[in-house]
Amino acid sequence: MSLLLEAARQPDRTAGRARRAIDWLPVALLLPLFALFVVWYVAPLFGTVLNSFHPHGLSGIRTDEWTLENYLEITTDPYYRTILIRTLSITAAVAIASAVFVYPVALFIDRQKPSVQTYLLLIYITPWLVNVTVKAFGWVLLLGPGGIINTALRSLGLIERPLPLMFNEFGVFIGLFHAQFIFVLLPVWAAMQGLDKNVVYAAANLGAGQATIIRRIIVPLTLPALAAGLIINMTMSLSAFTTPALLGGARTKVLSNLSHEINLVQLNWPLGAAAGVVLLALTFVPILLVRALGRSRIT
Amino acid sequence: MLLIFNLAMIGFMLLPISIIVWMSFTPEAFFVLPFDAFSLRWYSAALEHDGFRNSFLLSLRLAFVSATIAAVLSFLAAYAITRLKAPGAKGLDSFFLSPLLIPHVVLGIALLQFVNSVGLYNNFWALAAAHIIVIVPFVMRLLIASMADIPAEIEWAALNLGASRLRVMFGIVLPICAPGLIAGYVFAFIISFDEIVVTIFMAGPSQQTLPVRMYGYLSDQFDPIVAAVSSLLILFAAAVVVLLERIGGLKLLTR
Amino acid sequence: MLELRGVNKAYGSNHVVRDVDLNVEQGEFFSLLGPSGCGKTTILRMIAGIVAPDSGAILLAGTEVTEAPINKRDLTLVFQNYALFPHMTVADNVAFGLTMRGVPRAEIQRRVREALDVVKLPGLDGRKPSQLSGGQQQRVALARAIVVRPRLLLLDEPLSNLDAALRDQMRWHLKEVQQQTGITTVLVTHDIQEAFALSDRIAVMNAGRIEQIGSPHDIYTRPTSSFIAAFTGDINLLEGAVEGDEAGGFAVRLNDGLRVLVSGEVRHQAGARAKLLIRPEAIALASPVEPDGHTRDENVFEARIDDATFLGAQVRVSLRVGDLPLIASVPGHGFEPYPASRTISIPRAACVLIA
Repeated sequence: MSLLLEAARQPDRTAGRARRAIDWLPVALLLPLFALFVVWYVAPLFGTVLNSFHPHGLSGIRTDEWTLENYLEITTDPYYRTILIRTLSITAAVAIASAVFVYPVALFIDRQKPSVQTYLLLIYITPWLVNVTVKAFGWVLLLGPGGIINTALRSLGLIERPLPLMFNEFGVFIGLFHAQFIFVLLPVWAAMQGLDKNVVYAAANLGAGQATIIRRIIVPLTLPALAAGLIINMTMSLSAFTTPALLGGARTKVLSNLSHEINLVQLNWPLGAAAGVVLLALTFVPILLVRALGRSRIT
Repeated sequence: MLLIFNLAMIGFMLLPISIIVWMSFTPEAFFVLPFDAFSLRWYSAALEHDGFRNSFLLSLRLAFVSATIAAVLSFLAAYAITRLKAPGAKGLDSFFLSPLLIPHVVLGIALLQFVNSVGLYNNFWALAAAHIIVIVPFVMRLLIASMADIPAEIEWAALNLGASRLRVMFGIVLPICAPGLIAGYVFAFIISFDEIVVTIFMAGPSQQTLPVRMYGYLSDQFDPIVAAVSSLLILFAAAVVVLLERIGGLKLLTR
Repeated sequence: MLELRGVNKAYGSNHVVRDVDLNVEQGEFFSLLGPSGCGKTTILRMIAGIVAPDSGAILLAGTEVTEAPINKRDLTLVFQNYALFPHMTVADNVAFGLTMRGVPRAEIQRRVREALDVVKLPGLDGRKPSQLSGGQQQRVALARAIVVRPRLLLLDEPLSNLDAALRDQMRWHLKEVQQQTGITTVLVTHDIQEAFALSDRIAVMNAGRIEQIGSPHDIYTRPTSSFIAAFTGDINLLEGAVEGDEAGGFAVRLNDGLRVLVSGEVRHQAGARAKLLIRPEAIALASPVEPDGHTRDENVFEARIDDATFLGAQVRVSLRVGDLPLIASVPGHGFEPYPASRTISIPRAACVLIA
């Protein structure tokens, strides 16, 4: 128990030592946020889980009946299934690309003077703080059929027809990779900063070359940070909405666009709730995956 | 090799942003990069556009309200968790950070269905409460980190000199972790300002925040006015980055 | 002024303070001395109200404060890490306690200036703690604690974060300030020199208990346990049995047959096992020469000298009386190699017998 708490106890010595007055201050401090979270976070999520087990009737949710139909529909309907698989593959592709590209970038930054490091980080942080819609719009300008890249290539005579750079998985991949690279870069760079440079010198002193040092020392020691970054990276990819909507278009929907359509266009809330629960369940996959990988490395 | 790769990466990172800014100065009525003639016509169009202006003001108000409430409530809770070691502190801290791991789409669905069933659809405070849930983890993380750095002796010393516990909380702990709180506030503000997913799901017709309006605009019409609005948002983001750097918030972000 | 009665504290199964009784007089400089983990800091924290005792009572000026909240006790504490408020200036740090007590602004200013003068730190009012050296921070912490004129001042290892030279200087300064202000002071330290130099009385602690309370001289020359003897300095620890009365004292037969005379009344039964403690500096490497030529207050032995190590102020001499190894410490001044054997003498009064 905290010393502060003990110090704040009311004198109840005469009543017997065993009884300790409850300290209300932490309770009072926690209550507002806790209450808000219960009402506006736990209750809605719980309600959605419940909704996903009710059938959808003509007049809305039929709360008197229970069913697994919504889950069956989401996972077996061929249209929905394609979307599910597309969501997962794009997420995986973005994660892999981020994991591969993060080391050359982080190593490069780590080797610069502290002032240069700050500027380089700022360059990577800026896109993060730019509105997602704006970023996606930038890519639309670049990758679109009449966009800058296609126009440039055509005027140079390199292509005759515009390359399909967007309204497909590639466009979504580019947009998400661009938006979410920072979530992997920040922790890996921070872990490199935290590395005991003597370990690196010791390895060099023992005759290890650059590549060996990176492969045997730096990468293993920053792996936990990479894992943490990848979890956020994948969670963000799974739930990205605007980027796939603008860069993928109607033909390259992902699960979040599908949820939007079901909930706000079809107005089928039970099915929409089930789509949400499936998406939520999927976000635990990266966490479990990273945990499992981490464990197998240790043993 | 490494240098070339990194220059390419930096180019890649800045490319879409710089293209928008460049494009926003076009004098044409469609998307072409201006090379010899530059114009501010889309900026004046953006500023005169009622929809964008109202949305901007709404977003500003929403971000201000939710970041302020989130900062206050998070400070109280973080203090109880880290300094008073409230019962179940460990679990509570993960609980308040957990919205970070819940996809915004899921939150959006849940809040859409919830808000409609309790009859608060299209209500400003209902939307603000949703934004608070989304941004609390960011404020909370920075606050917990900066509070954990304060030695217990500092608080004991203040109590020992006769300060009340509330005095210690607001007169000692609050000013000491002010940099973390300010960084968290700025962060929360911009996240709320930019939030689109939860908002697009649960917001009512009168709650067209700026990102929602831009998204809607991009989905059905295309003219350089969006480029001008986007450029203004980029400027805004750049200002935030500079601000965060000034108050040392960047170091806190990597913890 | 301060009284502890039967105070106990345990953290789980770790009984850190056991049945501690203490009495500190008005104006006294009192030290709790002991190795780290002996419970001395816990006692200080219980006095301050940071930690609540499991049982027992704490009285301040005759009033029980055992359960009084930390911020309602008229005492101040100087922490080992100073715990200055980093966001406040030196002046604001010192003024903090006065502000809490609702002292008028003008008086606060005057008393802060006075306190900074007392700790010899004028002219730094506007600085932040981070702009001060360790010694200066220490002085600010002290000023902050004395400015409210507490009934009791608690010092938790206040000098342990300073380097050796500064520590010495601050030690004298601390004594001066205490004498100047007359505040009853309790110091917690593991540094014997510090406790000896500053204290009127010392309580030596070991494993949660107070083993001895006394003046520094008492503690050093009449330790009541081999722990205290060894903790407060080098010691020859010999084992034997009490033999009986002898003129002006009694005799102890050591295990290897040597007979040592000890002054004082017999507190042990004849035949009882006992330990004999002799400080190395009590052993003289010479025959006793007294004005009247008598040697009856001395134990005189023939010793072989194994080794002598010159340490500067002292020479540490390893010697043997029969098979009994002894360590002697003699002044380094005029040191020259010793012959292989030597007559040594040990005053009876320097031999301390413990059970």
